[in-house]
Amino acid sequence: MIYDFSRVLAIVVLSVSFASSVRAQNKLNVVTTLPDLESIVYSVGGDLVEVTSIATGYQNPHFVDPKPSFIMRLTRADMFVTVGLDLETGWVPSLLNSARNPDITPGSEGYVDTSINIPLLDVPSSVSREQGDIHVFGNPHYWLDPENGKIMAETIRDALVRLQPESATLFDSNLESFLTQIDIKIEEWNAEMKPYKGQRLIAYHNQWPYLEAAFGVIAIDFLEPKPGIPPTPSQLAKIISLMKQESLSTIIIAPYFRTDSADLVARNVSGNVVILAASVGAFSEIKTYFDLFDYNIARLKEAFDSPGS
Amino acid sequence: MVWGFFIFPSEITFAQQPDSSAVQDSLLAALQKEMASFAEPDGQAQSGRTAARLVPTRNPDISVIGDIRAGYRSDGERNVDLGVEEIELALKSVIDPYARADVYLSMASEDGEIKFELEEAFITTMSLPHTLQLKAGKFRNTVGKINLIHPHALPFVTMPAVYTNFLGDEGLNDQGVSLSWLVPNGSFYQELTFEITRGPDESPSFSTDDGNRLLYTGHLKNFWDLSENSTFELGLTGINGPNDLGLTSTLAGFDITYKWKPVRYNRYKSFTLQAETFFSFRSTDSGRINSMGLYALASYQLAERWMLLARYDHSDLPDDPDWNENGVSSTLGWLLTEFQKVEFGVRRSWGDKIETSYAGVVRVVFVIGTHGAHQY
Repeated sequence: MIYDFSRVLAIVVLSVSFASSVRAQNKLNVVTTLPDLESIVYSVGGDLVEVTSIATGYQNPHFVDPKPSFIMRLTRADMFVTVGLDLETGWVPSLLNSARNPDITPGSEGYVDTSINIPLLDVPSSVSREQGDIHVFGNPHYWLDPENGKIMAETIRDALVRLQPESATLFDSNLESFLTQIDIKIEEWNAEMKPYKGQRLIAYHNQWPYLEAAFGVIAIDFLEPKPGIPPTPSQLAKIISLMKQESLSTIIIAPYFRTDSADLVARNVSGNVVILAASVGAFSEIKTYFDLFDYNIARLKEAFDSPGS
Repeated sequence: MVWGFFIFPSEITFAQQPDSSAVQDSLLAALQKEMASFAEPDGQAQSGRTAARLVPTRNPDISVIGDIRAGYRSDGERNVDLGVEEIELALKSVIDPYARADVYLSMASEDGEIKFELEEAFITTMSLPHTLQLKAGKFRNTVGKINLIHPHALPFVTMPAVYTNFLGDEGLNDQGVSLSWLVPNGSFYQELTFEITRGPDESPSFSTDDGNRLLYTGHLKNFWDLSENSTFELGLTGINGPNDLGLTSTLAGFDITYKWKPVRYNRYKSFTLQAETFFSFRSTDSGRINSMGLYALASYQLAERWMLLARYDHSDLPDDPDWNENGVSSTLGWLLTEFQKVEFGVRRSWGDKIETSYAGVVRVVFVIGTHGAHQY
């Protein structure tokens, strides 16, 4: 009796562990640089992927610290997804070099750069660091336009199919439902933003051109005198004059920048500082790529509806 | 000791709450001054939007790093000096899908005379199985916490006495092979490195042997994330090889690092505690000489561009355990951009057998060329 019971138990334990190991083997282990990519990979990969992001949504994606603990995750990854251009140039190369994983090095099947096929904005005609920390390939914050999210999802689908061709139909149908869903949402967002088309504002750092292009708002100047250079008194004075002259009241800023200088300018022009989400996870309620736009549009509408609050 | 570290971050968080009113007042004063002389705004949006993509090249990543200094020291004949401390040319590239190469050429000042030196030149594999990585050539040995870092990238102006007294003026830098392995322990980062090198030309502890003996270096790095914002690292180092007497010396080292850097505001705030100690066992004809040295430092980021560091040094010499050199030093770093920093360092040294002396250094470090990797 006891012998039988233990035999049953052994079989159950064995089969469960076998089943879970098979599942673990089938699941693609995906590591992304940003949580926005994580969200899209999850939408397309569904239950067939295990996906994590290195950066959080509330940190500056240019300055992620390459902690050794990230290397461990990359060592085991089947696929690595990066925003590319020169967004992560300070930390991704060193992490990939240390990860010793030939499956995810640039050029291999598991290396996915989602900037491919993206129509880039702010591509410079000349490159000098005299201009500050400019992006040589164009502005890399392209995930902030939901139309680009569709292109990224297609790039990610292609990569998942490359690594796991037997699941192609599932990835295809997941992609289809993502695209359908986002098209519905894009219509909603456009309708919501329609009354505010052409609204002008000030940004702390030039990181919103894609959001601006998508929803028709315009950042006419920046608190940073040059990209990556902290605000100077002369720049703030210039912005205050500009905002008064043009009757602007909104300053947008990402959560990882100090708001001291933006607050100061806002006080001088009776305007308001709006902390927009630069990525999924910037605030606890932003759990998916869709939430990112829901949140930002709600904040922009609030700001435009009640200037100077 | 570890528990002390756990308690620290919360206190730091409170201490670090930005005093926004004070910041704003000083900013406001400067602002009003600017606005007084300000007439017409120039409301042009930044940079046009053009469509030319840059052409990729197969050139290696090239960067030039400069370290220019002016200094004062109270001991010696010549008390003031200034000039180029070092110009480094770094060339890095992937060779093919299997390996990459890194070459660092150094033109460094030796008492004012610029001398050329091959600082590092090595090939690193990228596709060995079982998370192994093999490195061959001339490289900085994997010793302790700072030996791998080039001097211009260190957050202080002078090397700790324990490094200069036991390893060499710029640490231990030798030629040979290095094999490292990421230990798949499943819970924390662990890297084991083993190196066989020919023996350095210049090092107080070790020499190139006239016979066939080589230098062996082993290092175990252990790294834990304590929380999203804080990390802890423990390292063990062992070096064994021939000394200048043709006999054997052994160095055993231990390093410990605690780092707090809030993810959300990692550009504005950070705090580091770091200490290393080395024990030396040197065989001589008249028996074994045991000696030791250590340093401990605390580094605190005052603001986005300002870093303050304080360090205590204590060190014997490998052949004189009664040497007893002590030092306290402080470095204030002004980090203008990722490509330029200015550091102000002061140091007081004393000991039973040495005269008390003072030194001060200002250095500018710049990088042109390819964007370098951030350090952690």
